Amino acid sequence: MDDPRLTMTPFLGGRRILVIDDDRLNLRILSGILKGAGYALAEGDSGERALEQYETFRPNLVLLDVMMPGIDGFETCRRLKKTYGADCAPVIFITAKNESDDVVEGLDAGGVDYLPKPFKPKEVLARIRSHLANQALVEQQKHLVAQLSAANSSKNKFLGMAAHDLRNPLASIRGLAEFLRDGAVGPLSADQLDLIQTIHGASQSMLELVNELLDVATIESGELKIHLEGHNLADLIAKSVALTNMEASKKQTRVDFIPTAPVPTFALDGAKMRQVVDNLLSNAVKYSPPGSTITVTLGADLVARTCSFAVQDQGPGIPEGERDKLFKDFSRLSVRPTGGEKSTGLGLAICRKIVEAHGGTVVANNLPTRGCEFRVTLSLPA
Amino acid sequence: MNFNGTVLLTDDEPHIRKFVGLILKQLGDVRVLEASNGQEALEVYKRENPDLVLLDVNMPVMEGLEALRLLKELDPNCVVIMLTSIMTRASIETALELGAANYIRKDTPKEEIAKALTETIDACFDLGPDTAPPAAP
Repeated sequence: MDDPRLTMTPFLGGRRILVIDDDRLNLRILSGILKGAGYALAEGDSGERALEQYETFRPNLVLLDVMMPGIDGFETCRRLKKTYGADCAPVIFITAKNESDDVVEGLDAGGVDYLPKPFKPKEVLARIRSHLANQALVEQQKHLVAQLSAANSSKNKFLGMAAHDLRNPLASIRGLAEFLRDGAVGPLSADQLDLIQTIHGASQSMLELVNELLDVATIESGELKIHLEGHNLADLIAKSVALTNMEASKKQTRVDFIPTAPVPTFALDGAKMRQVVDNLLSNAVKYSPPGSTITVTLGADLVARTCSFAVQDQGPGIPEGERDKLFKDFSRLSVRPTGGEKSTGLGLAICRKIVEAHGGTVVANNLPTRGCEFRVTLSLPA
Repeated sequence: MNFNGTVLLTDDEPHIRKFVGLILKQLGDVRVLEASNGQEALEVYKRENPDLVLLDVNMPVMEGLEALRLLKELDPNCVVIMLTSIMTRASIETALELGAANYIRKDTPKEEIAKALTETIDACFDLGPDTAPPAAP
């Protein structure tokens, strides 16, 4: 709580109060009490006047008599609440009879409290101060929320711009390194090749990081758009498995794909769902001990109209108490990739957001013996 | 692929010109001309009459879509491929409406860029059985 705005007692002097009563004497007494306490006042003698005055005076608090000719206090309150919604100042009713029916009707109409006549100056001031203090806190809160969301959206904008500006040069570094590596400008010595491969590897992983940052920025700014088209999930997974196996073989790891039941073609964002599968598979490879097997299953529940695919590995599993962190931005668990691979801690957060944008769920569970399972469940069209 | 034409490569970032230039040279005996903005591209086009133009979208002085429009005005038959990045996806539709033959994401691996170039060249030029250069204008 370092922010003084969060701990400071709000300053209430100079707050604006609108006082409405058709009884001139009451009006004078109340005004006297309030002016003496340093509040700025506007006065009126009817519900109609209250509605007019509210618009121009924009009070922080309204004191409203109940029994008035024309529209009464309760109706006036209802209209104010309807017009100004959540931004409407709190309304305190002035009432002669503090019978419980009246009190309840007043509170139902949107009032926060009532002041019984005849007035006791100390009570009037204490109640008003308490409601103004609440109101001030609510305003501070709204202001803070607005500031925070503005700060978050400029962060996203910055992230997007930075990622974009880094992307093209990184792609060029990677591409030019490939040309050198492939001997496009002549043969290389073993040492030269080693250096070029390091440059290539570093630019490749930086490009992946930048792409993930860009994904996060896009998703967080609400610009994640899903383009649905008919896709065959089994084909999509098979392609990803084939590609992952090339990477996995370097760690003597194998990925097996076992479709258990045929899944009909249904509407998916193919590229984004592929990203989810790629990510879950590459995670499984990262955390698998050499020589282990990763199993991908795909099945459908045609009664419940759902299908799901699951990636199971034989790695260390999810450490106790770290499950909550799994799908959050920039969260890395205490377990480490087995081949020294890099992890941004963004991949699963992106997966979750893509799956949720499809109306599906992704959950992670440890397997009874060893390793863990990531399961994505999607709805099939009825 | 054996493409022996002249390509005008337009991008304000020198590293992109170098990278894409190397890819182009693998397609055949390609002569690569360079320009760093739309204005320069138009001048080089008028002078050299290249077979193919690659055009970046975001450039200083004159941006790609404007250059594309003027190029098409100058020569409705010129073959233009847009070089796009992730931020200029929205321009793709406009570019295709203006008559661009294709677009290439320049942050993709070189094999993909080469593939897109090959496909467009195949579609736009009658290269014959690996011999003649594209029909000289």
